[in-house]
Amino acid sequence: MMCSHAKELMAAYWQRELAGDDQPALQRHLETCAECSAEMAALGGLWERLADIPAPEPSQALNVRWQSTLESLIPSSVIPSNKPVSRTWPFANLWPSSPAWQAAIALACLLIGIFAGANLPRQNKEIAKLHDEIASTREMVALSLLQQQSATERLRGVDYTGRMQTMEPEVVSALTEAVAHDPSVNVRLAAIDALSKASGSPGVLQSLTQSLPRQDSPMVQAALIDYLVEARDRKALGALRQLAAQPDLNPAVLERTHFALRQLSR
Amino acid sequence: MGIANGGIEYDTDHERMAAVARGDLAGMNEIYRNRHRPLFRFFYRLTNRQATAEDLAHEVFLRMIRYRHTYQAEKEGAEAAGAFEAWMYRIARNTLADHARKQRHEVAPGEGELESIASARPTPFETAAKRQDLALLHRALRELPDDKRELLVLTRFQGLSYEQIGRILGCQAGTVKGRVFRAMKELGSIYSELCKEKAS
Repeated sequence: MMCSHAKELMAAYWQRELAGDDQPALQRHLETCAECSAEMAALGGLWERLADIPAPEPSQALNVRWQSTLESLIPSSVIPSNKPVSRTWPFANLWPSSPAWQAAIALACLLIGIFAGANLPRQNKEIAKLHDEIASTREMVALSLLQQQSATERLRGVDYTGRMQTMEPEVVSALTEAVAHDPSVNVRLAAIDALSKASGSPGVLQSLTQSLPRQDSPMVQAALIDYLVEARDRKALGALRQLAAQPDLNPAVLERTHFALRQLSR
Repeated sequence: MGIANGGIEYDTDHERMAAVARGDLAGMNEIYRNRHRPLFRFFYRLTNRQATAEDLAHEVFLRMIRYRHTYQAEKEGAEAAGAFEAWMYRIARNTLADHARKQRHEVAPGEGELESIASARPTPFETAAKRQDLALLHRALRELPDDKRELLVLTRFQGLSYEQIGRILGCQAGTVKGRVFRAMKELGSIYSELCKEKAS
């Protein structure tokens, strides 16, 4: 047996993957080759000791982050939760079982609602002010998250912008900046999705068109192409031709680019 | 056994991921529960940073969802066994490579785990000398070139077979065995040097 083959067998032996016939063959080689025998003893011991290095544990923050991500992607009704679900509410025992009483309580709630509704106009201004404050806070949080080092935090920032009724220019600018320069593909894709609310803005279209030839991810390229086709932005034709001319372009993206060129040239 | 959307039960993460690829995203939660620890440990052993390892592990699950259509769900039998691991670790390696490209300018990782090993509370079976020795071994592992360290992490810590690692790296199992031997030999040399340094 050659020493090079014996070394492969040693690695297999350490990993408990040595086939039946190979074990005696390796044993015979080790009996005749002092160098391999010494390596087997020294490195085998080292291999065993590697298992003693403690295994690190992720923090609870990872679970929380994942649940938050999953909830934003899938309706909560279809996610089997990690947490035990309480099927009763604290005052369940107080709820009457008789349908007549249930109807009476429902009627009382309705009357209270009508009464409260009648008084609502007086508070409209306050509610509108509150809405403005919430929107402003949300904007601030989103912009702050978009500046974070962690891609997950920036992703949360993009998610925040999706909850806004209208997008302020600062938010739109931060999102277009993210599409153009964010190092994370996921953040860029999420930002493109979020910008669908501002698809009518010429500034956004121009910025996205400019960033298209510079994108290195096929997923982002495809998402941008779809966005520009959706917006019927004929000004993007130049950038699309530039992209199609790239020699190492992903074939699926190339096909999509040709489709976009046909759509926008009509 | 996990339960995915519609009450369908799946036995393996391969089946769960196949369902995710068909649009049943609910199976991702079970996959996360089964895989987040090994993934975190993979990244931690290669970056030595808790927050970075968690960020990267999370990123892998996002990419699994994003690229779910690329999962080859039709594999069956022996071919299906290990298909999910190979696909997941390919995504993990790409995620790590993307991260490394962006972080080249960063300083070398800290000595957090090294210190934690050295100062860990001894069990009745442990001695201070053994803990010091383990700290040196861990330091030697960290000083290995990235590709060799990754290979040893996949082999020794992630519990993958040479066949599976071959699928992840795109080479034959025999090639992996040869490379593992060479990585162990280099680890042994670094470890010996560190022991000599400590003794002198």
